[in-house]
Amino acid sequence: MLIRFYNVTKVYPSGATGLVSVNTAIRKGEFLFLVGPSGAGKTTFLKLLTREIVSTRGQVLLNGRNITRLRPGEVPYLRRMVRMIFQDYKLLPNKTVYDNVAFALMVTEKPRRRIRPLANEALKLVGLESKAEAYPDELSGGEQQRVSIARAIVGDPTVLLADEPTGNLDMETSWDVMEVLLRVNRRGTTVIMSTHNAAIVDGLRQRVIELDSGRIVRDDEKGVYEGEAEYNGILPG
Amino acid sequence: MRVRLSIMGYFLAEGWESAKRNVSLISLGTMAVSIFVLGVFALILMNLSNVNNHLRSSIEIRVYVEDNLTRQGLEALKQQIEGIDGVDGVTYVSKDEGLNRLVKQLGEKAGLVDILGENPLPDAFDVRVFNADSTGDIASRISDLPHIIGVNYGQGFTEKLLATTRFIAIAALALAVILLGATVFIVGNTVRLSLHSRAQEIEVMKLVGATDWFIMWPFMIEGMILGFMGSSISGVLLYAGYRVCIGRLGPVAPFLPVIAEAAPVARLCVSLVILGVLMGVLAGGVFTKKHLEI
Repeated sequence: MLIRFYNVTKVYPSGATGLVSVNTAIRKGEFLFLVGPSGAGKTTFLKLLTREIVSTRGQVLLNGRNITRLRPGEVPYLRRMVRMIFQDYKLLPNKTVYDNVAFALMVTEKPRRRIRPLANEALKLVGLESKAEAYPDELSGGEQQRVSIARAIVGDPTVLLADEPTGNLDMETSWDVMEVLLRVNRRGTTVIMSTHNAAIVDGLRQRVIELDSGRIVRDDEKGVYEGEAEYNGILPG
Repeated sequence: MRVRLSIMGYFLAEGWESAKRNVSLISLGTMAVSIFVLGVFALILMNLSNVNNHLRSSIEIRVYVEDNLTRQGLEALKQQIEGIDGVDGVTYVSKDEGLNRLVKQLGEKAGLVDILGENPLPDAFDVRVFNADSTGDIASRISDLPHIIGVNYGQGFTEKLLATTRFIAIAALALAVILLGATVFIVGNTVRLSLHSRAQEIEVMKLVGATDWFIMWPFMIEGMILGFMGSSISGVLLYAGYRVCIGRLGPVAPFLPVIAEAAPVARLCVSLVILGVLMGVLAGGVFTKKHLEI
């Protein structure tokens, strides 16, 4: 197993509960949807994997290593293996598409001669090699999200976490982004995606973990969304 | 922490850009004044220590002996004094020579000697010592010898001078801590501006797995540049100012044992610049680290 949660509980300093006694395991190369209402613990689940937060109790294992016990100096190396994309893309507005992607390689100290080929390969994978010199504000929302995916996958991470990546996108653009995420998954990267988008979850029939009030209430191998959802009725053709 | 050359180039470029963007006349000026005041105190200390050394090297023990001693007796006493550990040399000063010296010292008031009638001074020896610190000890051993009626070496004066120098050194040290603290704070605040203007970039860097050191380097270089600029201004002003002062003071008070050579002052100014650079790097690092922990 690539990832294991053992009895993971997260209580925030404010007293709010993120997760309660969560046990689960995720295989390498899996594509997993995290669903559930807002505040169910989806983002907590993802942030525990990037060590943005640490569990209050229990263990989070990546490749058999308990990441709750990592020393602060080891966290950056974890984040090179576990990358995350967001609803708001978090692109740097004063850098071109290419520079945004290359930036991730440079700040993780990749040799200069390897930066260009790797950044170009990532842009090609997300279908944006022709927009390499454009600035983020010249791109559509879907394109910006694809740049953020390129930036996330450029160092060849083991896991890609996506926190509601289609939250700001219309349905058609969302499918474009999903297509890219599936392509990334097919290359061997494990993808864990939190979403409210029922059409996507139902359309792709991947593993679905449903969270509610911090607990796993459902774990289906080829699941559907169920529950109250943003269902636009537009399924892939 | 191995840093490749190409990465170092990136750090330098980023640090320089930030420094250019955020440096202000007020922050540079305040920093320069802080380091300048520090330099002034250091110069005062250096000069006091110079005066101290000068005085200590010229310390002699004047040993007065009984009047009725024969030439052989005087010679034997001289040899006894020379035999004491730490004594560099002994010179006999006859009562007549002593009087001549007194007349010279008194200058216009030399008439006083005539009032006294006969020469009131006893025969004496001037004793030079190797180490000024042992003057008191040696004087006490000499006074224990026979036929000695008194010793004099300016008791208490060197101790007082030393105590004054020590007091100023402590005051200067306390001031240095405050002024260096101010420098760190000024550089830190400028670096904080940079941190805020680049908050998004730092967030992305942390997100993709940049190490804290990697994030901190450009800000430490920015601090270094600011520290260098501030301390260079004060270093140049201090050096030029001191040279002007010495130039004016020299003809008026040539007897003052102040430091007139350029080299020690230049060394002090270079040290201040190095100190400014180090403080800048420290401030950049500390403030960035604190920011990253939030």
